[in-house]
Amino acid sequence: MQNPPGEEPKTTLSVTPPKKWAAGVPAVVHALEYSLEQTSPRKTGVDLLTMNQVGGIDCPGCAWADPAPGRRHRNEYCENGAKHINDEATTRRITADFFREHSVSDLAARSDMWLNQQGRLTEPMIKRPGSDHYEPVGWNEALGLLARELRALASPDEAVFYTSGRASNEAAFVLQLFARAFGTNNLPDCSNMCHESSGFALSETLGTGKGTVSLDDLHHADLIFLVGQNPGSNHPRQLSALEEAKRNGGRIVAVNPLPEAGLRRFKNPQKPRGVVGRGTQIADRFLHIKPGGDLALFQALNRLLLEAEDARPGTVLDHDFIDAHTSGFEEFTRHVRTVDWDDVRTATGLTREEIEKVRDEVLGSERVIVCWAMGITQHKHGVPTIREIVNFLMLRGNLGRAGTGACPVRGHSNVQGDRTMGIWEQMPDTFLDALQEEFGFDPPRPHGLDSVDSIKAMREGRVKVFLALAGNFVRAAPDSEVTEEAMRSCRLTAHISTKLNRSHTVCGDTALILPTLGRTERDVQADGEQFVTVENSMSEVHTSQGRLEPASPLLLSEVAILCRLARHTLDGKADIPWAAFEGDYGTIRDRISRVVPGFHDFNARVTRPGGFQLPNPVNEGVFNNKVGKALFTCNESVVPRAPEGHLLLQTLRSHDQWNTVPYTNDDRYRGIHGSRHVVLVNPADMAELGLTQGDHVDLVSIWADGTERRAEDFEIVPYPAAKGSAAAYYPETNVLVPLDSVADISNQPTSKGIVVRLEPTPDRTQPAPA
Amino acid sequence: MAREDDAQQAVPNTPGMRTDGHGVTRRRPLRERHVEETVEVGVPVRTAYNQWTQFKTFPRFSAVVHDVEQIRPAMTAWTVGYGPLRHRFAVEIVEQDPDAYLAWRGLEQNPSHQGEVEFRPTESGGTAITVRMLLEPRGAARALTRSSRAVRLTARLVRGELVNFKRFIEGLGQEGGAWRGTIRNGRVQHDRPEPPRSRVAQWPVG
Repeated sequence: MQNPPGEEPKTTLSVTPPKKWAAGVPAVVHALEYSLEQTSPRKTGVDLLTMNQVGGIDCPGCAWADPAPGRRHRNEYCENGAKHINDEATTRRITADFFREHSVSDLAARSDMWLNQQGRLTEPMIKRPGSDHYEPVGWNEALGLLARELRALASPDEAVFYTSGRASNEAAFVLQLFARAFGTNNLPDCSNMCHESSGFALSETLGTGKGTVSLDDLHHADLIFLVGQNPGSNHPRQLSALEEAKRNGGRIVAVNPLPEAGLRRFKNPQKPRGVVGRGTQIADRFLHIKPGGDLALFQALNRLLLEAEDARPGTVLDHDFIDAHTSGFEEFTRHVRTVDWDDVRTATGLTREEIEKVRDEVLGSERVIVCWAMGITQHKHGVPTIREIVNFLMLRGNLGRAGTGACPVRGHSNVQGDRTMGIWEQMPDTFLDALQEEFGFDPPRPHGLDSVDSIKAMREGRVKVFLALAGNFVRAAPDSEVTEEAMRSCRLTAHISTKLNRSHTVCGDTALILPTLGRTERDVQADGEQFVTVENSMSEVHTSQGRLEPASPLLLSEVAILCRLARHTLDGKADIPWAAFEGDYGTIRDRISRVVPGFHDFNARVTRPGGFQLPNPVNEGVFNNKVGKALFTCNESVVPRAPEGHLLLQTLRSHDQWNTVPYTNDDRYRGIHGSRHVVLVNPADMAELGLTQGDHVDLVSIWADGTERRAEDFEIVPYPAAKGSAAAYYPETNVLVPLDSVADISNQPTSKGIVVRLEPTPDRTQPAPA
Repeated sequence: MAREDDAQQAVPNTPGMRTDGHGVTRRRPLRERHVEETVEVGVPVRTAYNQWTQFKTFPRFSAVVHDVEQIRPAMTAWTVGYGPLRHRFAVEIVEQDPDAYLAWRGLEQNPSHQGEVEFRPTESGGTAITVRMLLEPRGAARALTRSSRAVRLTARLVRGELVNFKRFIEGLGQEGGAWRGTIRNGRVQHDRPEPPRSRVAQWPVG
């Protein structure tokens, strides 16, 4: 265990060649090093050995599914999960003294890493209007003040209730219930910023907002596409599934602007071949695609499949499936046959021959799965790209059969479950009707605000109170300066949090920090010890129960905070048993079972080992969209272009980072050490732009509003990024993502396709010329 | 999804051949097979078939099946073994007709296998259950399974399991559950717009 850093660590950049493989023994070493820096060997052991086990703690990291009970490793976690959980279980504590020592202004000048490293929040804190310091406040006063502010609003729609993907099903259900009983559908969530495009595209085409595959599907696919995702750093346990697929004879095509280590080779530290051997090659074929070229790639593949069918009628397409289960095929074929090969070449940077080789892989595969993540969703044309992926899957009937399907890979442990529980600003009437029937109040029907629109509303003064259930909204959101201005314009901001982050320092006139239990901790309520439930990326719902003593006796659980807030705010207005909910989460699950489809007998089924899996209608032969069939769509071709002298920037995480929280300044897979202020640029682009390694540049984004968005002082690192593109770390470069630069239909920020120019960094130590 | 009166439909008595309601022959028996075993059980076809679809109960009567996971209607994972040995493999149900037929194939590439089970009413009111299996191992295992001894062993195993099932369902007298769906080419078919298992949250998940 080490003390928190007093000052920002001073490190300088060093660059080594990118790694060609992921995980292995170094992953174990790094995970243990970080864990033991944060907490004791005993706590580390308790956390890690119960993590992702039946009856244990669900990893608060990514949403990757667990193997079936009985098939789990004794160590069923990855390097990043181990760091994440022990980052929460840290023995470091933030007390009132800390806030006396550090003003809000001081904290606002600190890095994300420094703030996180200070440790766990231990008691409620308030920053009163005009003050620059947080000070202790009792729970009743804090929640009473928040309730008074809410009740004083001219309209419930002047409040926003944000949810992060860490929140449990129970907390999410209680939050949406409270918000709707209060009178608003303003329920933005982190989904708005990560897989919103997936949800919209899949709902429209397949009638389900969720992926259709299970781990067993992945294990037995003949061909898996990994598109716009970096499993080695963002979903490392996916590598185990990919390894099993490879050992079963499957092949993998990786499509990404960066040749990430985890796409190349995986050394499974739980297998001898991963410790002393060469590990498992992941991608059999790597397509070094330009950012945003995926739509053109899948359109080209679809055209090639149609032409292959022309050449050998009846042998390529699954006509039985297309005829019986789909709609729009003829129109789609007419459209996709017009795809222009020059446009494809420009959009993707790939040759026709490269794409034809992938077509051949497809033709040789009976079972195909496409996995994707934010490299697809965070583009203006994210929704059309996913629609085109669905077209691709449907052509050969790769839906609803074993070893086939669509696999959006979600990034935060319960991001999918929170949505299932009703955290969405546009919930359908069927859900609201069920709420009304169960609780006897009439929920508001007009749609509320998503994340982007919440920021706009705060900035314009239409929203005055912001409450966040977990997360770090200020750093996760785009257009950092605009978001910060929006938050500062609120009358009150409140965060239910385990650790300090920048969202606590960029706050409204009044700000509340409401410290809460973490996943690792025992949650004891009036009716005894509680567990919570979560839903992973493959729709499996299961329990999570911590084993450690809470970081402070003053912590309340998320459910308790929300139930108490509801009681303070609604004051008996709705006949909802908030006290009973707080005392026994089973009573919440009883209500969920009557409101949310698929959750019947929730309490009984979720306590079975491994929980239960929600059925996916697609796998039942049902397409619950408007046409009642799987829908072929015609998607306009898009050729992302950057003007002369500009590059297409994608923001991304480092390997040593969880969402907005960097653990160190290193990114060892990419060979970056000691600094996050780097921009990765293709050497050919560097030459064209007259840049050399080590040059310092400002990144300046281009947008229609003419506003200059600038990320200052980034060091150039030559890197095999796709020609014409660049990459830099999130959240440092969120400042470059215009708030209005969103995906069509889904309104998701386009953080993977920002046009930037690189300007030499001026000497800011000298006064600017008059 | 199967209709409730499926059991009353005429079921051709020719093993491996059956015509659907549109007069289309949906399948043919495995032409190549290592084993074919038939057992007659003293319960009606519907009872025998319904119990057979309760795959999770196979460990209750089987000597080699230790666990079955029903991943979804057309996909299961089986753990089989003898003594301390265990092997888990996933199975895709390729075709399934209520009260008549079920065909499957293993999703492992090595060893690979496929099989089918057929249910036919007998004149005595019972059910003739026929299981056919084809093993297609690769490498060294291929030579082993080609031997007549291995074939005999497999046949004996299949017959033993069928006899175990016979005792089980005859002893129970009635099925403990049923899945009455239809599967074609590995896909669940349905005859209702919203079968029960499709009633789940349908809103977009970001």
